[in-house]
Amino acid sequence: MSGYDVHRGENPRILFFFWIVMGASLTLVLGLGWRQLVAYQKYEEIEKRQTERRVLKPGPRGDIYDRKGNLLVGNRPHYSAVVYLDDLRREFRTEYSQIIRAERERLNQIYELTPEDEREDSQLRPNYNDLQWRARQNVIQRYVDQINLVTGRDDTLSTRKIIRHFNEQLLLPLPLVEDLSADEYARLIEQVPVQSPIKVHTDTARYYPYGVAAAHTLGYVQNVNPDPDEIPDDGIKTFTFKTKLGKTGLERSFDTLLSGQTGTEIWRVDPLGFQDTLLEIETPKQGEDLIASIDIDLQLAAETALGDRTGAAVALDIHSGEVLAIASHPSYDLNDLSPFIPRATFDEINERGAWLNRTLQLSYPPGSTFKLLTAIAGMRHGTITPELEHDCQGVYRVGNRIFRCNARYGHGVVNVAASIESSCNVYFYAEGLRMGIDVISDEAKRFGLDQKTGIEVPFETSRLVVPSKAWKREQIGAGWVPGDTANTAIGQGFLLVTPLQMATVMASIARGETRTQPTLRALTNEESSRIDHGGEPIGLTPQQHAAMWEGMERVVGQDGTGRLVQIDGLRIGGKTGTADFRAHGKNVNLAWFVGFAPVDNPQIAVAVMVEGTSASERYHGGSTAGPVAKDIFLEFIQQYPERAGFAAAE
Amino acid sequence: MANIRLEKIKPLVALGVFLVAWWVVPTTVKSFLRVNFSEFQAPAWVATSYLDDLEGFWARRSHSKVELIEAGREVARAKSLYQFNAQRKETLENEIQRLEAILNLPSRREFRYEVARVVRRDLNAWWQQIIIRKGKDYDIPEGAAVVFSGGVVGRVVEVNAFTSRVELVTSPNFRMAANFEGDERPVVYQGVVQGGLGAPIGSVRDAPQDVVASTQFPLKLVSTRLGGTFPPGLMIGRVSWLEPGSTGIFQAGQVELDTSLLGLREVAVLIPLYPIDFDSHAP
Repeated sequence: MSGYDVHRGENPRILFFFWIVMGASLTLVLGLGWRQLVAYQKYEEIEKRQTERRVLKPGPRGDIYDRKGNLLVGNRPHYSAVVYLDDLRREFRTEYSQIIRAERERLNQIYELTPEDEREDSQLRPNYNDLQWRARQNVIQRYVDQINLVTGRDDTLSTRKIIRHFNEQLLLPLPLVEDLSADEYARLIEQVPVQSPIKVHTDTARYYPYGVAAAHTLGYVQNVNPDPDEIPDDGIKTFTFKTKLGKTGLERSFDTLLSGQTGTEIWRVDPLGFQDTLLEIETPKQGEDLIASIDIDLQLAAETALGDRTGAAVALDIHSGEVLAIASHPSYDLNDLSPFIPRATFDEINERGAWLNRTLQLSYPPGSTFKLLTAIAGMRHGTITPELEHDCQGVYRVGNRIFRCNARYGHGVVNVAASIESSCNVYFYAEGLRMGIDVISDEAKRFGLDQKTGIEVPFETSRLVVPSKAWKREQIGAGWVPGDTANTAIGQGFLLVTPLQMATVMASIARGETRTQPTLRALTNEESSRIDHGGEPIGLTPQQHAAMWEGMERVVGQDGTGRLVQIDGLRIGGKTGTADFRAHGKNVNLAWFVGFAPVDNPQIAVAVMVEGTSASERYHGGSTAGPVAKDIFLEFIQQYPERAGFAAAE
Repeated sequence: MANIRLEKIKPLVALGVFLVAWWVVPTTVKSFLRVNFSEFQAPAWVATSYLDDLEGFWARRSHSKVELIEAGREVARAKSLYQFNAQRKETLENEIQRLEAILNLPSRREFRYEVARVVRRDLNAWWQQIIIRKGKDYDIPEGAAVVFSGGVVGRVVEVNAFTSRVELVTSPNFRMAANFEGDERPVVYQGVVQGGLGAPIGSVRDAPQDVVASTQFPLKLVSTRLGGTFPPGLMIGRVSWLEPGSTGIFQAGQVELDTSLLGLREVAVLIPLYPIDFDSHAP
């Protein structure tokens, strides 16, 4: 029996403390039991939040192919040299202690040199925070220098970038040198030892095998931080690599489809936040591929034909509305924008006005190409008949104003087919005034010229004008005058359309309907057969139809305004146009050609617009825009001989 | 009693004192000691290798004249074949130079060959190295490529007075840029921890997605000129399968290496005739 046992039974004061201790112990045991057995989930979550970190790695984007399976947009390796800061901790400490020693010596020397009455103790205290960052910068820069030595570069890493990385992305690798070439990558792989903290990180960047081809339509991507809504809200601190977001073109419209599936890594970290153990990994997955309707051979033909000129060219499949080619010039090489857009490149493209997609972002007066719609309006309204003739003397008086024809001495007596062939203004002034602006305006609206086409690329302009009396009153605050009708009848005045719209108009006329829904997605045969463009039959009698067709075919005939578009063995119908336009702060010419082929079995519709860049340039639809369209037709024959009515190449 | 206890811990104390002493010794001294230790061992290795050669010599002396005559004929046949190949190589080299001149291409990196005898193999799961019987005495530089008739052997990692240490292509510490034969895109080859038995293997990563390898049609992994150490086209191994890597777009796979790698008796060290010019695209 111990001394305590003797006292326990006898001393009430000890008994009192005995029960207190017993009670406290029981409370502790119960509390521990409660936390361990009942409330353990709560503590597990807290532990997770404190010790686990999530790293999200976006998956590579899907590829974009043309309708024949040629790669238009893919992914190329994007190499960078990185370090995980965790691997450098020991070096940071060593460097820091060396710097501190040197700094103390320096401060001591200054202190000694200071007169005694001016000395302060604070003079001897270094700025520890600054020295710590300097130590980190020195260590990191040493590795950058090592890379420079191998690659022949001259890169540096700013303290600001290092601080930001430490504070915001500690668990992610710090990029030392980005966008290494294949040579530099190979040299680093071979000449940096495996044990070195320098790691060669492989990511993807967008790659455009055809450079400038369809640049505005394909679009580009930008590296952005991921959407916060996509980050799981479970309290675990999450680090994210930048993801690629489609900014323009198909990259933007089909961003959801093309975006890859994000991969996840869960790391256990040490008390300082550096990575310790990889707990979970889920590999990122590539996004879906997109098959575009574009035919790269036709696209290249359009791009080459436009050359250095400012303008746009669009080719559509008449039946399905699929865009076979869509070119806007001036353009830019998409590869220059990947993996990021350098400021100088942005400014240079901006200066050339090349960011604008002239096929659908800018609207222009359609010029004489609009006469096709005026003719249809007149025929449907009953004012124009195939036999109706006018004697063109080169001028037409409307009130006190003289309106001129494009032939100074006139075209003589012309019917509707001949007026389309020769693009006689007088015929359409007269007929436009006879039918009135309401009829013309209604017909243009029936063909959808007052609406966006709804094609799958963003930023289609809404500045589309099909003028009417109400429109002029509302927008300009003035009344409609006959001169306005005369101008509208020949595609001038207030009318504003896009080259893409004119291509849809041409496709619709060729098909005998009023609407064509253009699409940049390659359609399957089944989808093509089920397609509903949403319009109605044009509503011309066979005679009217024949007259229209005759006129359009004669445009590309021996004496037509579009004779330069002629191709042996291919029947082409079309219309040229020349318009005055104010651009670049001056009045310039616009040259238009719209057409389709073959006339007896329409397959392809083309619209070309070339914009004058100076007042001295005299552009004409037939001689300027026509040859561009011709090159597209020639390539169509080359690529689709059977559809063009030619025997397939052996 | 206390004396007995002290006797027991004496070795531990000695070990502790040694470790503390080693810990406080400056790094330069440690490095000096390590290098000298290698140099100290080297003559023994070299002598052993010469003894091996002598043993081989005496073993061959015991062959009959008929055997020697037959072997002599074999050598003569091989020699004539090699002479023919040497002539062909010279013609091809001239042709390459002519074409390079026409196309205005920068000339390829040139190497001097130094054939060296393997005197020791240091092979285990974690590192795979060989010692060769040439060192500073033959101007062998650190980092030089080492090859044999079957392709890449490794890289020189340490040069002593009369020997050099070569990190084998099988070693996890060996990494090089490579490409698949006929495909210019660079990939990464790296050695891996070797199993006890079986053929040596390595790993390949960063292979583009469109590269397809199968056991029926294995791909040849060869050296690329891009890395600057190896001349292009030297065989590394064969790749029979590739699978998606952790990036989700590149592939990774296993490389089967030449089985004779671990039993080599002679290798050639490629010594660059001029240093890499980083401004040039053709090292």
